[in-house]
Amino acid sequence: MSAISRSREKWVLLFPAILVLSLITVLPFLQTVWTSFTDAEITAREQQVNWIGLENYIWALTDPDFLEALGRTMYFTVVSVGLEGVLGIAVALLLNQKFRGRWFLRVIIILPWAVPTIVNAVAWRLIYHPDYGALNSLLLQLGFIDSYTSWLGDPDRALNMVILADVWKNFPLVAYIALAAMQTIPGDLLKAAAIEGAGAWKRFHSITLPWIIGPMLVVLILRTIEAFRVFDIIYVMTRGGPSDGTKTASFYVYQEYFSYLRSGSGASYAVVVAGISAVLILAYYAGIRRDQRGA
Amino acid sequence: MTNNLQKKERTAVSSNPILAVENLSKSYGDLRILKDVSVAIEAGDFLVLVGPSGCGKSTLLGCIGGLTEVTSGNIQIDGQDVTHTDPAKRDIAMVFQSYALFPNMSVGDNIGFGLEVRKVPKAERDKKISQVAELLKIEPLLDRAPAQLSGGQRQRVAMGRALVRDPKLFLFDEPLSNLDAKLRVTMRTEIKRLHQRLNASIIYVTHDQIEAMTLATKIVVMKDGVIQQVGTPREIYDTPANIFVADFMGSPAMNILVADVTMDGLMARIEIAREDGQEPLILYDPNPGEGIASRPAGALKIGLRPEALTDLGSRSVNAEQQFDCLLDVVEPAGSDTFAVIRLGGTEVTARMHGDVDVNSGDTVPICFDLSKISYFDPKSGERL
Repeated sequence: MSAISRSREKWVLLFPAILVLSLITVLPFLQTVWTSFTDAEITAREQQVNWIGLENYIWALTDPDFLEALGRTMYFTVVSVGLEGVLGIAVALLLNQKFRGRWFLRVIIILPWAVPTIVNAVAWRLIYHPDYGALNSLLLQLGFIDSYTSWLGDPDRALNMVILADVWKNFPLVAYIALAAMQTIPGDLLKAAAIEGAGAWKRFHSITLPWIIGPMLVVLILRTIEAFRVFDIIYVMTRGGPSDGTKTASFYVYQEYFSYLRSGSGASYAVVVAGISAVLILAYYAGIRRDQRGA
Repeated sequence: MTNNLQKKERTAVSSNPILAVENLSKSYGDLRILKDVSVAIEAGDFLVLVGPSGCGKSTLLGCIGGLTEVTSGNIQIDGQDVTHTDPAKRDIAMVFQSYALFPNMSVGDNIGFGLEVRKVPKAERDKKISQVAELLKIEPLLDRAPAQLSGGQRQRVAMGRALVRDPKLFLFDEPLSNLDAKLRVTMRTEIKRLHQRLNASIIYVTHDQIEAMTLATKIVVMKDGVIQQVGTPREIYDTPANIFVADFMGSPAMNILVADVTMDGLMARIEIAREDGQEPLILYDPNPGEGIASRPAGALKIGLRPEALTDLGSRSVNAEQQFDCLLDVVEPAGSDTFAVIRLGGTEVTARMHGDVDVNSGDTVPICFDLSKISYFDPKSGERL
């Protein structure tokens, strides 16, 4: 078969996928970009929509509430991904040790990740419940608190509590990938380091961490992209409240569209969020390339 | 470093063992890997642990290195009990079969890793690294990554990492097994030269009996977790403690055949059956030793190295003990020609001159040299 017909064959085979992707992704995205330059509202008729240029963007980038939501999203992303990384690697180190019941622990540790986000969010909302939540009960019995607390009711604390729930759900993924990477470390390397006099911390720092850094980078950037788009867990646990304490960028976009019905400005917020995500995705590819070079 | 090495040479004459392993056992559950192993070496000794795979030699090395927890018994290094000491505190260095170089560090950093861990100042560290690099001829490689090196270069770097710390004891775990045949011979010579030059105390594990013979000052032959024999290469080769050692050490292996041994005056009369129809072979051993002389006549197993069966004009043989033998197969090997003969119901190998002109199927006179004959108990296989 000639090169040209082979190349045409590829396009023929790819065509259905390209068509479907265009219809459900590319077209809506282009439409969103177009909408972001208009004053469209969801309830408005088409003839009432006017082209207003960059006005929405100027508005979005000077809107203190939106910038605050972006800042909150950054905080959520950095803290939750950071904690997932540390906890994931720590748990992987533990699961990589030889001990009785290791296999059982390796299996059950994946459970939080296997549970759908919404179920996880509902479960944590119950755990945090101010009247009958398990957390209150536990902390009271242990003597850490004097009376039941409304964990999600305090705007300064609610975001951290959501982060805790998110970390709980997502650290197993990091732990599993870290564990898989650790299991490829040749035993002789760690033995050699031990004989050379390296203690546990030095062995981790000089041998284990450099060995797993590539896969860790990939999974953490992946998690960063996901965390930056966080929506579902917040929708279920707090709906952005109290007093916008957990309102992240995606939630802000959602409200602009579907609560205030301003599709034009909502679209511009969405494009900004998409743009930041795109930067993160590029970083992700750079991370993968680095990983492949390292291998 | 040179000063330390000279110091070490002086201590080599002391009679305190640098390593003493006493009644060491290691089990994994019901599986006993090492059974009551005891061995000791003097400073400057090159001890080779040799045996077939699964004999426990690597486990023993792991126990000495502190990488494997022992079940019972104890280990002393330079008079100190280190049975439960952390490997880092045993003052040992180890060279692994896989080289175990740290992939994220340069060659120089690999060699200097142990010094860095011990917080040796950078200037001193660099000096020691370059001394070792010079010794091993790897100076141009110091800035490279291990992935850029050939197998032989990696091997040198691994040795450099061990040498730079000047430890009391070096452990080598099959260090040459991953190299191709030619490089293995070169590196073997180099390891021997290093040992002679540094007078280091070395424990070396291998399954290759030629490596064991060429390198060791002392060999420990192991099988199924039990030491079969400890001795110099010469002792192991000439007076194997049992049929296992006789068979394992030496290539081609020692010929083991069944013979009827009776005393005839002071000499032992050895009668070996031949192929059907032929007269049996009658050999005389003028110095059979007390063990044979006091034994009732009967069937024994005897061991003769291939070089004890040879063509005329070879080595110092007793010309009287010469018999015509049918050569079943002839295998020229350059410096020697090996011939397979059927004797005593089994195949035995004769080692003839390399330039001898014989073919399979020829019947030629073969001389039997009994000066180094071994006798073994036919049931236990132990040397008599």
